[in-house]
Amino acid sequence: MHQQDSEASAKAGGRRGDAIAHATAHGSAVAPPVHIPRPDSSWRQIRADLRDRGTAVAYATWTEWLPAVLTTTRLGPLLGRDFGRYADTQDPVVRCRFAASRLLIKYTVAAALGIAPEDIDIAYRLSGRPYLRGLDQVDVALTHTGELMAVGISRMGRIGLDAERADRRLDFALVRSQMCTPAEAAELDALPEEQRAACTLRLWTLKEAYTKALGQGMRLAFTTFGFGLAAGGLRTPDGTEVPGDDWAFATHSVLGRYLLSAACHDAGLDPDGDTSVGTMLDQGLLTALAPPGQQRGPAVDI
Amino acid sequence: MNQSLTVAAGTSAAVARARYVEELLGDPFEPGNPHGQEALLAADERRQVPAATEELLGAAGLGAEFVPRDLGGRLTGVEELAQVLRPVFRRDVALGFGAGMTALFAASVVWTAGDARQRHATARRLLDGGRITILHREFAHANAILRGEYTARPAPGGGYLVDGRKEVVINADRAEAFVAYVRTAPGNGPDSHSAFLLETDRLPSGAIHRLPRARTQGMRGAHYAGLELKDCPVPANALIGRFGEGVSLSLRTFQVSRALVSGSALVAGMDSALRYAVRAATESPHGTVPRGRRGRVLAGVFADLLACDSLAVTGLRLLDLAPEHALIPSAAVKYAVSALLHEDLDELAAVLGARGYDRSPAYGGFQKLVRDLPMAGLGHAGTADIQAVLVPHLRTLAHTGRRDAHTHEAPAGLFTPGGDRTTLDFRRLDADPRDPQNGCDGLLTALLGAAARLDGQSSRGPRWAALADLARSFAAEVRTLAERCAALSARLEASALDPAAYVLLDRYCLLLAAAASLAVRENADRGAPDSGLLAGPDWALLALSRIGRRLGLAVPELPDGVSQDLAAGLLDRYRRGRSFDLYGMRLAGAAQGAVRSV
Repeated sequence: MHQQDSEASAKAGGRRGDAIAHATAHGSAVAPPVHIPRPDSSWRQIRADLRDRGTAVAYATWTEWLPAVLTTTRLGPLLGRDFGRYADTQDPVVRCRFAASRLLIKYTVAAALGIAPEDIDIAYRLSGRPYLRGLDQVDVALTHTGELMAVGISRMGRIGLDAERADRRLDFALVRSQMCTPAEAAELDALPEEQRAACTLRLWTLKEAYTKALGQGMRLAFTTFGFGLAAGGLRTPDGTEVPGDDWAFATHSVLGRYLLSAACHDAGLDPDGDTSVGTMLDQGLLTALAPPGQQRGPAVDI
Repeated sequence: MNQSLTVAAGTSAAVARARYVEELLGDPFEPGNPHGQEALLAADERRQVPAATEELLGAAGLGAEFVPRDLGGRLTGVEELAQVLRPVFRRDVALGFGAGMTALFAASVVWTAGDARQRHATARRLLDGGRITILHREFAHANAILRGEYTARPAPGGGYLVDGRKEVVINADRAEAFVAYVRTAPGNGPDSHSAFLLETDRLPSGAIHRLPRARTQGMRGAHYAGLELKDCPVPANALIGRFGEGVSLSLRTFQVSRALVSGSALVAGMDSALRYAVRAATESPHGTVPRGRRGRVLAGVFADLLACDSLAVTGLRLLDLAPEHALIPSAAVKYAVSALLHEDLDELAAVLGARGYDRSPAYGGFQKLVRDLPMAGLGHAGTADIQAVLVPHLRTLAHTGRRDAHTHEAPAGLFTPGGDRTTLDFRRLDADPRDPQNGCDGLLTALLGAAARLDGQSSRGPRWAALADLARSFAAEVRTLAERCAALSARLEASALDPAAYVLLDRYCLLLAAAASLAVRENADRGAPDSGLLAGPDWALLALSRIGRRLGLAVPELPDGVSQDLAAGLLDRYRRGRSFDLYGMRLAGAAQGAVRSV
């Protein structure tokens, strides 16, 4: 409603991350991330992914969105309840990165829901996880690392994202003991040295994405669940496959230097493909509740 | 056997019947109990109903719980009904719907508007152990359960011919009767649908096609299946109520459904989820309920559960006492309870850790709840349905901030669980939003009254002072909400919908949960079990502080020891084998005496 798609902007945006490895056989259920370098880039792919695949992921660098933060005349309304946190942040880099990530959330959600970004109230669960107050047709996820920021939305169920620099090297011995299930440790031990570091990093981002989808971040101990590195899928600590096909995971390489992992849950309700706010109230109920010319009570209407 | 749920006059019928169902189903964790978790989880794994348990409940006359007393059943008030159903829902949410509550979703339409024949036939069917289910119309943003609908056209020679298909209807493959919302006029007007009682023994064989079971993610054992009607001749006297009254009837009867889903399925499911987490915490190598974060989570979820139950019981009692005023509150109850409990499940998963994936009888029920509870709430489509009901109420909310608002409090009798009982009169359910307090929201103004009275209690100690402070900031938030509703009303053209309305409704529902918590605490009996836990400040303080953080309010740190003491109260209930809801009822099976205390 507030954005017009155009071929030109479709070319500017719409670039996809490269899938490097699917963590499960159901990984194709997770839409590849879409590069959205500016608020006025094309959101068409995001809308299509959400409609057709149930999830969509938008990413950009915060510096790409910095001009939008610096030039908008509506930063107050756009940040809403987050404006206080923005204004109270002293470090200009932290402050601008925070604002850019909130704008990316709001514009992504606005594109998906067909409303203006200012109309979205980002609220926070007790765990700190953001959600959209009053609008539960999509779940949102946010991750950022270095320059990269990414926002995921899903109409199927929960979604979690995690990004890391692809060249980040974790302390393998520490990770192995603190983060891995016995089954994962055995799988990693069997890998050639050169693959082990990359695999460990991918495992880390998957675990982060999954616990963030559950709204718990690192409060859920990473050794209490695992992934099958080769065969894919969620595992119990002893390596047994967790039954069910309700979770999908995928890892993509973006901007040539980051790993971006997504964990998407399907609550199984097979929700409507339409997520727009304008159509969500049932017209039959609305007309039944407010018959024309028979308004009750106080004379103001909504 | 049919009489076994009947109790002697003079005892609290609801409490006795709830206990009877609890004992009938037995200790969920006793190995070999045919109605315990072992059997229920195995049936779920096989995608089958737990047949032995369903038969047991049928033989005990569960169907009579849904039939009003004047028609030969045991249904009086819905607060009571929710209490009786909680033992079933604590064990298996899918069973509670499939073998129980779905029948009332359908039958409530008959109790509300049916004629004498329809009422007696439906009562007879349920008393004889028969099944009836509901065929919803298609709503906006419909999911699998709400998708598809039926259409009627006049039949030559009278009556109607009905066509249509739905794919995911609980018990569609085995019900003998259906209450169907059928489209009888084009368009989206208030008269688009009519309700029909379709009794398969009164319809020609071959007109009803039962379709295969649908595979669902949650409630795997429940019989979700499709139903197709092709030129199905329906007699004119199958119409329930007036022609074109369907949407209005759904607005009236859904009030009962929403309050009952909240007050039985959601609260009871959460009770069990919390029990798994308490067990995991007490079985940890440390051996005691942990102080740190896990203890805080357990106490916090306990507080949320009591807050949710306060709201649910308020909604149920309102239906029983003044059903004409229940449209808005019953919708808000479902909204707030769903929102809080959904988040709490995540918190509990972190406490359970690896045990959250354990499929053994000791913990397997937790994953089952994680699968089943979202189905009970119907997801976004269920929310949107509630929002449509609540949106017109923003007009009333605009008036709740006025200076004399606190004089328009809802009566204390709404906030006393198990208090004076009355019978729900379905015919008094109303589809028009209204409020008894002259355009104020009487439940929300209860918050203003409770906050004012708490002001005088600050001298009782730091916890009372903290509760009074918090209540005061909630009262300020009520006034802010009223101002924002007024501002929104003023700047909008009639019938235009601003997305800001949904934000305000969300805040309204959370504030209502705080209002119910404060009012239930205020009216709680200090001489009640667990040393007056409900009358004390701790749970309300913790519940309000969590609700306040969800609202984005600046919530001060809790005084020392509040979480620990509430966790100790929770552990005490666990040890004594008591439910975690407002009623604290005795559960079947041995009390967990072995657990060391905090």
